[in-house]
Amino acid sequence: MSQMNDLVDTRQGLLYRRIFVSKDIYQQELERIFARCWLFLGHESQIPNPNDFLATYMGEDPVLLCRGADGVIRAFLNVCRHRGNRVCRADQGNATSFMCTYHGWCYGNDGKLIGVPGMKEIYSNELDMKQWGLVEVAQLDVHKGLIFATFDPKAPPLLDYLGGQEQELGVMFDRRAGGTEIIGGVHKWVMNANWKYAADNFFGDDGHHTVTHVSVREVPVDELSYPRTNEEPRPYSDDIGFTRVAGGIIRDYLLDHFDEAVQRIGPDLARQAGLVTTVFPNVSPNFIRHMIRVWHPRGPEKTEIWSYCVVDKEAPAEIKTAMRRHLTQTFGPSGNLEQDDMNNWEQCTGTARGVIARRYPQNIQAHLGHEEKSGAFGGGKRLRRFYARWAMMMGAENWGDVDLETKYY
Amino acid sequence: MTDHDLWHEINDFLVREARLLDDRAFEEWLELFTDDIVYWMPERTNPWESDDPADTVSKPGELALFEESKETLRTRVARLATGMAWSEVPPSRTRHLVTNVQVESGETESELRVRSYFMVYRTQLEHSQDVFVGERDDVLRKVGDEWKIARRTIVLDQAVLQSPNLSIFF
Repeated sequence: MSQMNDLVDTRQGLLYRRIFVSKDIYQQELERIFARCWLFLGHESQIPNPNDFLATYMGEDPVLLCRGADGVIRAFLNVCRHRGNRVCRADQGNATSFMCTYHGWCYGNDGKLIGVPGMKEIYSNELDMKQWGLVEVAQLDVHKGLIFATFDPKAPPLLDYLGGQEQELGVMFDRRAGGTEIIGGVHKWVMNANWKYAADNFFGDDGHHTVTHVSVREVPVDELSYPRTNEEPRPYSDDIGFTRVAGGIIRDYLLDHFDEAVQRIGPDLARQAGLVTTVFPNVSPNFIRHMIRVWHPRGPEKTEIWSYCVVDKEAPAEIKTAMRRHLTQTFGPSGNLEQDDMNNWEQCTGTARGVIARRYPQNIQAHLGHEEKSGAFGGGKRLRRFYARWAMMMGAENWGDVDLETKYY
Repeated sequence: MTDHDLWHEINDFLVREARLLDDRAFEEWLELFTDDIVYWMPERTNPWESDDPADTVSKPGELALFEESKETLRTRVARLATGMAWSEVPPSRTRHLVTNVQVESGETESELRVRSYFMVYRTQLEHSQDVFVGERDDVLRKVGDEWKIARRTIVLDQAVLQSPNLSIFF
């Protein structure tokens, strides 16, 4: 186990590059972060009916998220207990059982092993089928439609783990009574970059915006991608933050339901300009882009990105369409903003292979010693907190060593 | 005009379009589209128990990789022209290969349905290599003396895109 304090110095705002390329550190991340933390698996709206399922990942482990015939949501390793083949090759569907295509072991969507060819001839009826069901997650919980799970039975309950962050998630997931839903279709792509660059960027690297995304200021992509309203502009005051970001019919829609949002999540959160964050370690919602994003680790220098479009369930069809189009114009592999992020993160990762470069720490000192200047999305403060949390999880032998207080966020 | 002549005319059109893209003559490329162009790249998915290729493609109304109008295409071209769209600085070097061109009659007298396969090779900087393979389903419309693209559906074959971005056109 590497000593994390040598690699991350949040007091001085220094970050050592080995954490982005070391295979040993990556294995430690899989064990100490991805095998222990609560991870995002999907949204309830993606498996609305009995026997619906979808395939996803927790770290590098393939996972099946199933709604049973009884309506209960469960999650299992998508790995046959016999020899390790995947039991399901589809991305999603509706099925009561899954048959492994190697030797035909068959599992119910509740994870139980229900059929073994050759039970009598090969196993002399001595195989205890109860012992050989799919490996189930240790804990699963749903918060505001978002399904999280962990393989660690000792992990604290989800709300304790979120440590106050669940309030903030209301900005995006609890504005309206009907909650949210994910529109079908997922952006999936890969980049040759370490997952932390993306996760820390969404958590709080606001300093990159004016440079990385300068082109969308020259050509006003946001303004152009909001359908104009034909009606009289809604009156609003400038202190409603999202009105400075969203435009056209989407701004009108958010204003029309502003009072409802105030009632549900309070005036401060309802007014917030946006919500761009990361629920540690690897799921990042972005309210104003109508998007939730998962950074699946695929080795120290590779990340697989899954990105979903999230809308209020009760929003009119016209608004859902506008939100989906806005997302595609701005984020995702073709997004006019996000196109320019991936190459930066790839270069940042690649240069960390150099032994000389690795002798020099990276600088995460923005607002260091002047934290009061750091706004809600303040880059430096939040970057340091992301890596403080990372180092804490990496160093902690058990959950007793982990401080989940909001101050780390 | 025989079917053979028409095929050659359409094939020439597609080859000329590919040349405009590879020469980064994006303004000229935009002129090949009608004002009501719907330029759409759905996603691929692995369906449960279906061998129908149509079930591997996301549906209209679902999240897509491109969902463009003439206006949004124009915005993309304008953004690239700023010189600060960093994913294209320096520009990608692309080769758009077009093949298996099939020309059929369209829904109106002035329209054709044109399907083709493509392979787009992209390299950039020192080492990056992307290969995009798929098919296009176009509606070409005769406007005056010229063919214009009035609908374009682009289906890539990869379910998980093996590239960091789609900063090029298809």
